[in-house]
Amino acid sequence: MAASKTVLEFNDRVVRQFLLATLVWGIVGMLVGVLVASQLNFWQLNFRSELLTFGRLRPLHTNAVIFAFVGNMMFAGIYYSTQRLVKARLASDFLSALHFWGWQAIIVAAAITLPLGLTRGKEYAELIWPINIAVAFIWVVFGVNFFWTLARRREPSLYVAIWFYIATIITVAMLYIVNHLSLPTSLTHSYPLFGGVQDALVQWWYGHNAVAFFLTTPILGIMYYFIPKAAERPVYSYRLSVIHFWSLVFVYIWAGPHHLLNTSLPEWLQTLGMTFSLMLWAPSWGGMLNGLLTMRGAWHRLRTDPVLKFFAAAVTFYGMATFEGPLLSIKSVNALGHYTDWIIGHVHAGALGWNGFMAAGMIYWLLPRLWNKPLHSEGLANLHFWLGLVGILLYVAAMWTSGITQGLMLNATTENGTVLAYPNFLDTLNSIRPLMLMRVIGGALYLTGFALLGWNVWRTVRGARPVNGTIEVWTDPVVETDPAEPRLGLIATFANPPVFFSILGFAFACAWMFGGSLLSIAGLVGTMLCVALAYAHFESRGRAWAGWYDRLLVNTAPFTILTFLAVVAGGLIQIVPLVLAHRAANVEDWKQVPYTPLELAGRDIYVREGCYTCHSQMIRTLVPDVLRYGDYSRLGESIYDHPYQWGSKRNGPDLARVGGKYPNVWHVRHMEDPRSVSVGSNMPPYPSLLQRATDVAALPSKLAVQRTLGIPYPEWTAAEVTRLVEEQARAITTDLRGAGVEVEADREIVALVAYLQALGRSEPTVVPDLRHTQ
Amino acid sequence: MKPNSKPSTPPAEDPTRPHVYDGIQEYDKRLPNWWLYTLYITILFWIGYWGYYEWFHAGPSNQERVTQALARIETQRLASAKLDDASLWQMSQNPEFVAAGKAVYDANCAACHLASLRGKGESPTAIGPDLTDTTWLHGGRPTEIYDLITKGVLTKGMPTWGPVLGAKKISEVTAYILSKHKEGEPALRAQTAALIP
Repeated sequence: MAASKTVLEFNDRVVRQFLLATLVWGIVGMLVGVLVASQLNFWQLNFRSELLTFGRLRPLHTNAVIFAFVGNMMFAGIYYSTQRLVKARLASDFLSALHFWGWQAIIVAAAITLPLGLTRGKEYAELIWPINIAVAFIWVVFGVNFFWTLARRREPSLYVAIWFYIATIITVAMLYIVNHLSLPTSLTHSYPLFGGVQDALVQWWYGHNAVAFFLTTPILGIMYYFIPKAAERPVYSYRLSVIHFWSLVFVYIWAGPHHLLNTSLPEWLQTLGMTFSLMLWAPSWGGMLNGLLTMRGAWHRLRTDPVLKFFAAAVTFYGMATFEGPLLSIKSVNALGHYTDWIIGHVHAGALGWNGFMAAGMIYWLLPRLWNKPLHSEGLANLHFWLGLVGILLYVAAMWTSGITQGLMLNATTENGTVLAYPNFLDTLNSIRPLMLMRVIGGALYLTGFALLGWNVWRTVRGARPVNGTIEVWTDPVVETDPAEPRLGLIATFANPPVFFSILGFAFACAWMFGGSLLSIAGLVGTMLCVALAYAHFESRGRAWAGWYDRLLVNTAPFTILTFLAVVAGGLIQIVPLVLAHRAANVEDWKQVPYTPLELAGRDIYVREGCYTCHSQMIRTLVPDVLRYGDYSRLGESIYDHPYQWGSKRNGPDLARVGGKYPNVWHVRHMEDPRSVSVGSNMPPYPSLLQRATDVAALPSKLAVQRTLGIPYPEWTAAEVTRLVEEQARAITTDLRGAGVEVEADREIVALVAYLQALGRSEPTVVPDLRHTQ
Repeated sequence: MKPNSKPSTPPAEDPTRPHVYDGIQEYDKRLPNWWLYTLYITILFWIGYWGYYEWFHAGPSNQERVTQALARIETQRLASAKLDDASLWQMSQNPEFVAAGKAVYDANCAACHLASLRGKGESPTAIGPDLTDTTWLHGGRPTEIYDLITKGVLTKGMPTWGPVLGAKKISEVTAYILSKHKEGEPALRAQTAALIP
């Protein structure tokens, strides 16, 4: 065969683009973060402008950091490392460019729509449906570009980094699409397909695994490439890579319900969420071990090399955050920490420590290689490291203290446990204000460090000539493919000991958990037998297992199929029973009364303003919650809520039963100027609600969609809807006039008050039980 | 590589995998035992926890736990509340009060009024009258019942229980008796009852 060598040039242009975008969006996202953190302490920073309120900017911050900052960083790292690990240039320059510019366009669209209040009202899934479609499309472009590159690879075997990239691409696609299923009511508004408890479960299946497969697995892949490169040391343990990869992707998916502990989510799901979170501890730490121990033999360079400093700190923070996660998933710990700043501290240990420092280390390592010029200033890079580290520690320590303090105060009781010690929520809020200020300082220090990175990059890149990496390859790719590693057919993918025992063991375990009494016992016996057999087989035929895995690694499609099966299992078992079950099965003893058209309009305003970023609508099955907010929430009480608004953070009190608690006039004054009725509140004022008219014209199409979603609305004509709205609005304004406040009936505040007064309205579905009220 | 830099090949006792990816080598070290045991213990915990709560239902559910805790709190509150008709009715809906009242009743009252509370209504030989019907010889409002037990009706053979049982136990017994009745049901005086056809 006439084979000759040729020089292959990598597409590093798109890597440089993504890298610079990482910097820009990182600084923007963190800047918004510092602003929203300050708003919590100084309400004046909401600037009396509806565009800049906390409720609208907080989604901008989270989306910017997750999808813009980490997203761009991930694409840069994946594209750089994949080309080198598979010895092939990215398959298509066009798709690469489309991926880059498409993603930036999506970010710009998000940055415009979120402050305008265009939102779906679900955390980290706020973007409106046309942008959702664009995201899905660009993600497919990314996937095609990536797998096409793998198909043209000259390196037959897939390195561990590539496994993590594959898991990322298919899982994010699955999660994103399912959680964004919605029915549009207009070009900018839609209602999610799922409602109430179903929506909550799907949301946290997505939300938790966005952390897993957007912020963790791709970065682990990046770690597996850049740490051995930077440390110039071999990866610590290949078999640890295998075990922790498969256990991580399988177990992660099940842990979503730990965001809904002690709520009205069915208890078997809470048990799964808690126990699988605990089982996630070791798989996560497998990644930390492989990262840290790869640096063995290079520890002395930590003193001098900023890149390794960032990587070592990042992996350490990964270990801390993935220890804290299982800890917070224990029901009793969660009862204290959930809804408080502890969670905020936890995610920032991950986002600032793990993601931010991995990004910084990667950028410092890539800069000289992509622009063929030494880093402008190593001293500045070191300063960046120390500023960032002190910043994170201040931030995390402040949030731990604040979360635990507020949690303890909210749960404290006196008089033999019959009365709340701090009945006023504001007492607990105002006691953590110094800590919220400390958080702002920590975040600002971190941002300053990142700005130094920006300056360093600017000075390095300015005047430098970009270079693309090259390698020498054979012109005929076949020459480099190892003929001793045969292709794996579909049958061989499944008919082999590891997959066979895994699937069988999984089936038995499911029979144990969900079967009836006999099936259950058979399942438990079967599972144990299966584990014993697998162990015996592995002990005697371990070589066959290893040999099969080596073959799997040279076969992209079978590897991808098995990864998909591993990640799809948890979601199917948790979500399908809850979605297929008739709505009535999700009701318990109280059922929500559908909102009137005016209340629905008010609810859309509530969602638009992002009220859920500070107020939950879920009274947990916990004594302090019930003492403070009233009887615990039943599943049935939110079945018509598309999207659900259970919330995840209480910067203010829970609103599940706020209806009827205060007179209408209280709400009007509170929205206009929160501090006039609630001294010491940090809520932004909403004067525009008293000026703007409710969008009644949109209601008929919204109600039609709600009917399609199964909410029992009669088929009103547009005129009937208008009449119903006017009648209810007039009743409210008449009441307000009696209290001395003149408001025109068509104003948004009237709709919002109607909605707030409807919260907690439900009817018994069975013989009324004793309801426990305060 | 510069000649004086450390060799990137590992020592002989740590073999690397044969395959090298873009210059990256891999050891194949044993998994640390503490790591493995962490994994095993969390798996065992899952089996035990699921078995305890979801298989055998041996532990209380979230709802049961909070309901019990709230009932205890309500008991505490009622115990320190001022006694009136409303609070006695509330006590009669509280399982802890009713259970305590039953114990006091069975020990002190069942001799005359029988364990069924039906007294003469069940057996003509019983000494005390029926406490489950709607006819009350001395008034059927909760506070009237409470006062009656406290003071007794010596002419009819009802002892003065106040000094014997104390206020707490008497309120519990009252709650137990009321638990056999519905709030708002007719409480007829014996003499007026006779007038109704």
